[in-house]
Amino acid sequence: MAEKGSQVSTRMKIAIAVISLILATGYFTFLDWGAMKIQGLDYFYMFRK
Amino acid sequence: MATVTKQARKKIWAFLALGTFVGLLLLPLFLSLPAGAGDTPAPAASPDAKPVEKSRDVWYKTEGPVVGAPAPKTTDSPKDYPRYNFESRVILWVALQQHLYYGSFVLAVPIFCMIVEYLGVITKALSRKYDQLAYDFVKISLTAYSITALLGGIVIFTFLTLYPTFFGYLSSIFRPVMATYALLFIAESGTLYIYYYAWDRMKEGFLKWIHVAMSVILNVIGTVLMMLANSWIAFMQSPAGVDADGRYLGNVWHVIHTTLWNPINVHRLLGNMAFGGGVVAAYAAYRFLTAKSDEERAHYDWMGYVAMFIGICFLIPLPFAGYWLMREVYAYRQQMGITLMGGLLAWLFIIQAVMIGALFLTANYYLWQGMDRMPGAERFQKYIKYMVFVLIMCFIVWLTPHTMVMTPAELKAMGGQQHPVLGNYGVMSAKNGAINTIITTTVLSFIIYQRANKIPTVKWAPYGNAFLFGLFTMAYVNIIWLAIYGYYIPANVRVGLSVPQVASTLSCLFIGVILNSIMLKGAKDVGPIVWGQISVRGQYALIMLATSFTWMMGLMGYIRSSVRLFWHVNEIMRDNSPWAFTHTIGFGANMISFNVLFFWLTILFVFWLGALASKKAPATAPVGQKVPVPAGSH
Repeated sequence: MAEKGSQVSTRMKIAIAVISLILATGYFTFLDWGAMKIQGLDYFYMFRK
Repeated sequence: MATVTKQARKKIWAFLALGTFVGLLLLPLFLSLPAGAGDTPAPAASPDAKPVEKSRDVWYKTEGPVVGAPAPKTTDSPKDYPRYNFESRVILWVALQQHLYYGSFVLAVPIFCMIVEYLGVITKALSRKYDQLAYDFVKISLTAYSITALLGGIVIFTFLTLYPTFFGYLSSIFRPVMATYALLFIAESGTLYIYYYAWDRMKEGFLKWIHVAMSVILNVIGTVLMMLANSWIAFMQSPAGVDADGRYLGNVWHVIHTTLWNPINVHRLLGNMAFGGGVVAAYAAYRFLTAKSDEERAHYDWMGYVAMFIGICFLIPLPFAGYWLMREVYAYRQQMGITLMGGLLAWLFIIQAVMIGALFLTANYYLWQGMDRMPGAERFQKYIKYMVFVLIMCFIVWLTPHTMVMTPAELKAMGGQQHPVLGNYGVMSAKNGAINTIITTTVLSFIIYQRANKIPTVKWAPYGNAFLFGLFTMAYVNIIWLAIYGYYIPANVRVGLSVPQVASTLSCLFIGVILNSIMLKGAKDVGPIVWGQISVRGQYALIMLATSFTWMMGLMGYIRSSVRLFWHVNEIMRDNSPWAFTHTIGFGANMISFNVLFFWLTILFVFWLGALASKKAPATAPVGQKVPVPAGSH
């Protein structure tokens, strides 16, 4: 019943999860910025004003 | 040798039949070409001929010869609006809505049939099961097809008897289109009947391919029929090809290709598919609930799942098509868009929101119920309560109205039109966040469903799982962050935030589902899916799903139609009947409910007939044995 992946240690799993979260944060920030730029809008409007 | 000759003869007949269908398909287009060209040089004028009057197209702004009479100016009299002591508009409403329900169903089901029959041809091991399923699909649509034709006749008679002047004007403009429509209808009927009755004779080898090709032709004819019918309603809403007096300018393509025609075509095609999926799923649920054996239950459980899956696949792009349609409405007449979304009809959109929320809740509930038939799914049961919480919270935000209808005393007590706390959730920022969270949670439910009875065995599974965790967590954070961010920036910037929100949801849908499917390749089975072992509540969920589709379709049709207000043809031909007013929301909702109830009562009769006519036993899967599922699932 145990997954093969369970051979990876818990500490390693946490490290992978943190890296994934960082990567996903980068991806979504880029997505937000790009999607707003395509529409001619400024994603960082609040921070610039 | 005799067999070979017989086969060859079959092939010749199949080719001849196919050639005839193609010919019939192209004939109307060929016939309508001279009328559609519009640039045909006029014959040389005789010296005493009257000069041709020219006028300007209201939409295309091109000049053309006036070849039609002006739009009639009707009066509230029996001549223009004969009546039978009842609101004529309501009679027409019922007739048209029923025709549309059945029409949508018989257009959608052959498309399913084509997909499933093709799957049967290319997947040899599961060929018989897919083939049987496709046959089951077309069998249901056959009776429904006759009812559609009958209802079409009723619609024409209703128009002729209750709105003769308006119908006369419309048919004078669309004469070539209506003739083409009639020819295509004959072609569709012929193709459908041959397709159905030749099923057994064309089940092997090359003939099977001819049979599949026939389904393609059937669907091309069906789609063109739908598009032609759409051109009439699109013309009524956003006329083109006529001048300001409603005089036809001789270019039939302009009359067909109005600005809203294509958005309506796309929206209706997707909507029909989602609706068709819902009805077939409900049929399967009905057969499941009335099944006498485990084998039957297993078959209809599987059929319901496949139909629901196809329906949901077409439901997902539907809001984008709706967005396109609304954008074009705003571009055509801004006031029309405001009437729809922010004025007279805005409350109907709140009802639509409730229906959409109910639809997603039901889809999730069905998936969770479906996990009952999958050994190993109990590992994920503990997460369901959290998903229920998220879905319910978002549903509540999603249906919070912006402003309430209140008495002056209530208004005073609340301190304004907006509630001091709940009013914050009635704005688009909150609603966009809510609906995207609902869709993302549905995707998550589906991913859990996909892996319910599987254990990934690929080496990189821990990394894949971590990536999925990161993707979904940050997607939720991003969607909610954008919803909150919207409160702090001006409207012209805020309006753009919906795009990254949708992009976040779609990222989860495409990246999440694809990655999960790759991870599950060669995965270890905890146990086979035990088709038929789903609770009856799951089957009621399918019926609920189908009813929601039906109600929503009636609602959106009513909204689109009432936005013309007191015009038969927008800004061209005024409706001067006593019923040229917009009904109250309550009356509209009751009418929609009546239509839904009427449709479901009659379709139950169709289901019953389908069950009576089922000579062929269903391709059963013994309980506990794997049966095929659509690509991408399990």
